[in-house]
Amino acid sequence: MAETFQNLLLGFSVALQPSILVYAFVGCLIGTLVGMMPGLGPLAGISLLLPATFGLNPIIAIVLLSGVYYGAMYGGSTTSILMRIPGEAASVMTCVDGYAMTQNGRAGPALAIAAIGSFIAGTFGVIGLMLLAPTLAEFALRFGPPEYTALLLMGLFILAYMSGGSMLKTLAMAAFGLMLGMIGIDVMSGYTRFSHGLVELGDGVGIVPVAVGLFGVSEILLTAGAPTAPDVQRPKLRDLIPSREEFRLSAGPIARGSLLGFLIGIIPGSAHIISSFVSYGIERRLSKHPERFGQGAIEGVAGPESANNAAASGAFVPMMALGIPTSPVTAVMIAAIMVHGILPGPLLIQQQPELFWGFVASMYVGNVVLLILNLPMVGLFVNLLRIPYSYLYPCILCFCIVGTYSVSNSLMDVWILLAMGAIGYVLRKFGYDLAPVALGLVLAPMLELSLRQSLAMSAGDYAIFVTRPIAAVMFALGAALFVFSLKPLFGKGGDWRASVGLDSEQG
Amino acid sequence: MSTRFLIGVALALFALFAAAQEKFPSRPITMIVPFPPGGVADLTGRPIAAAMEKVLKQPIAPVNRSGAGGKVGYAATANSKPDGYTILIALSSVSIFPEVDNIFNLKPAYTLDQLVPIALISADPTILVVHPSLPARNAKEFIALAKSRPNEIAFSSSGLYGTLHVAMEMVIQSARVKLRHVPFAGGGPAVAALLGGHVAALSSGPAAAVAHLRSGKLRALASWGDKRLAAMPELPTWKELGYKDVEFYIWAGLLAPRGTPDAAIKALREAARSAVQDSEFKQVMARLETPINYLDAPEFQKFWERDAERLVRTVRRVGKIDAKK
Amino acid sequence: MTSSESSGTSQPRGGLRSDQFSGLMLLALALYVGWANLEYPIGTLQEPGPGYMPLLLSIFMGTTGLLIALWGLKSAPLSGLQWPEVMRAIVILIACAVATLALERIGYRLTVIALLVFFLGVLERRRPLPVALVSLGFGFASFYVVGDLLHVPLPRSPWGF
Repeated sequence: MAETFQNLLLGFSVALQPSILVYAFVGCLIGTLVGMMPGLGPLAGISLLLPATFGLNPIIAIVLLSGVYYGAMYGGSTTSILMRIPGEAASVMTCVDGYAMTQNGRAGPALAIAAIGSFIAGTFGVIGLMLLAPTLAEFALRFGPPEYTALLLMGLFILAYMSGGSMLKTLAMAAFGLMLGMIGIDVMSGYTRFSHGLVELGDGVGIVPVAVGLFGVSEILLTAGAPTAPDVQRPKLRDLIPSREEFRLSAGPIARGSLLGFLIGIIPGSAHIISSFVSYGIERRLSKHPERFGQGAIEGVAGPESANNAAASGAFVPMMALGIPTSPVTAVMIAAIMVHGILPGPLLIQQQPELFWGFVASMYVGNVVLLILNLPMVGLFVNLLRIPYSYLYPCILCFCIVGTYSVSNSLMDVWILLAMGAIGYVLRKFGYDLAPVALGLVLAPMLELSLRQSLAMSAGDYAIFVTRPIAAVMFALGAALFVFSLKPLFGKGGDWRASVGLDSEQG
Repeated sequence: MSTRFLIGVALALFALFAAAQEKFPSRPITMIVPFPPGGVADLTGRPIAAAMEKVLKQPIAPVNRSGAGGKVGYAATANSKPDGYTILIALSSVSIFPEVDNIFNLKPAYTLDQLVPIALISADPTILVVHPSLPARNAKEFIALAKSRPNEIAFSSSGLYGTLHVAMEMVIQSARVKLRHVPFAGGGPAVAALLGGHVAALSSGPAAAVAHLRSGKLRALASWGDKRLAAMPELPTWKELGYKDVEFYIWAGLLAPRGTPDAAIKALREAARSAVQDSEFKQVMARLETPINYLDAPEFQKFWERDAERLVRTVRRVGKIDAKK
Repeated sequence: MTSSESSGTSQPRGGLRSDQFSGLMLLALALYVGWANLEYPIGTLQEPGPGYMPLLLSIFMGTTGLLIALWGLKSAPLSGLQWPEVMRAIVILIACAVATLALERIGYRLTVIALLVFFLGVLERRRPLPVALVSLGFGFASFYVVGDLLHVPLPRSPWGF
């Protein structure tokens, strides 16, 4: 413990050097701006900035990039809340209740709670990273394909809690998302599925164009053509600060989201994207008033936002402790230090203490910087809503197009964006929830791959899922969750059809 | 003989003159990087672009056109305008895709003769790394173990028909052993699976494995090179062990679309030749633990042909992994 | 994928219900996927092939679609759905599609300026001066930020602009 403290002092002596502090600040600022561009998220942000860091020293490079990464996470939640445009998969859930709060005139509190939640979760994540990195990393490595399958299946069960609408429609939308995820090259067999000969679809349909299209573009299509333009909001100062009640409601979700996000985040791979979905599902399940979710419940912003930021710190655990690029974001970060001749690996923490502890300390600093940067800016951002909608939406659309295009210089992504906008518009007219589509799309490739990898490992023996302790425990937990979610269907009294939600006279 | 005619002649002469005068790079050059930022192609492409800029006196802008394991970028270059202003930093996988398209009876997105070589920048053989729990101490024991336990040793790869898979497949075919293949989506997850002991072996690039070898989390058994690796002289090659047709490199080279004017190719070759001598470039490559292995276009052409021949033969023998219908 | 525009046509009251319609559409999509999936080997339970998961999904989606249609009797009638914004939505989408086609041909700045002029000037009928200011300003400023500061190689027109 004392040693950790000493190391942390070393870290802060690095991170608080004025030159490094400046870069942390610049990184956060760039990240926030990039994240606020619709369609550009953390991955795009750090990928675009990576080449610029080649000329800097490795500590500055990684401080700058992690600042961008964090900043883009914050920035992404801003566009999600104000305009219903997720910058990345993790902020899809923020769109739902965050934007509903904006429509209720509570954009300020939503932004503030998102910033505070992110700050708490980020700080919690860094503490976890600092104290537990080596231990946790060893544990995380034991997550092979069978454990992954179990985890992702549990992610699917969360669907049951995700939406207040019809269960059948939720399932249908999840199936639609999972099907979208089937497009592209099948890693296990080399077949290119459902690509209709388009080489660009080989990698499948990206989550960013789909999420931006389904949520952002469909919203514009619905609103821009409405007979009456939406009212221009003139937020007063009093409306910017969360009320005592809102703070009270957010405390639990932030705490749970931080823990959950961190735990999911340390698992190597891209599973951390599901943390915000899981958090949303849990909060809705725990809430005494689940019907408020989707209508602007502050818990639906606080939980997922915290979870996704804690997961972001958690994802650094395998990266720093083991040096394995297991997700696209950490791959870019590792490249950034590799070009400086630092080999990331298990020995990094011992061989490059300044780098590791400087990085840890700079994450504390980055979180503080972001909080100071973002809380006062809430007022500024909210004033964006004063722009008349007829000027706002064309600009948002252009941003969506350029943002989506920039990610991999691909027109295909723009086409996907527009198609998803149209599909999202129609589906919403028919009363379908869109969040399950995003969850399905995120889960499908990972779930299918890990299931088939497990079977390849065991030569087709399903026993592999129950003979490995972690997988077995997770499957048992998943099964319990599943039974639990079915319970209301067979509960005493009440027509079960009502609980499937199809009986109501709503479109 | 009107003045109009005279003016016409003058203009035509001027145009000719101007064309002859126009030295090749008169505007910025685009370098297509078919992988996302941070990948091997990106990390080799950017420094070589920076070094070539100094010679050509025109900016070279690396553009990441990633997708479908590199296929999108390769196809985009092959089908671009051959004027010398679009070049490609390609990896060994460029030779594999057309053959895979053949296997699946698809119209190939591009063919190899749509591309011409400029220069080879680096070529690194992969190495066989295994989890320490595997009882095999050396390559011989590994093969013996695989023979005594057919289809039980699992290996990870960067994906079916991916470079790391094809390398391992060469050994499988040459040594007539059966191994269990567990493909992953990319090299990083493949290494993670090996570290976690979920698979027992992997053919990996040396740079990706070296830190884990040093810490003892993984063990290296053999290399795919023609001769032993300078960095790991104790490691035998498969060739030494008697597997003559096992040779595999992760190489990175500059290519251009076929039809690029000779003058442009010549200028680019010159630029690449002096770029690999550039001290800054050498420094970056040393940091990445990637030895520079420069070959000029004619030798690169020969190297590439031999390499592509090996890869295509292996991929063809793998064929379609058809699950029973 | 789902047919959208044709569904706005009026039908006699008491006709098709909205849930019936959308459920049947999902069923149709599932059938299409199941058909397109015939190309890929299904494999076995022990060794699932590339067609395994799509097949399961299409069965699952077809079933849910069918159930939605069957229990959609009491949902709002299809003809009762209001589509007041559909015309403008289609125009917006077409404009964006044209812009996407133009993007790599006439370059980013010209495309965006033209698109904004169309939206603001033609569609929203704003006054010429603000339209010009916003579209030019947005076109150049966003190019500067994304293209120059973030080094994204945004397409340029053949005239280098």
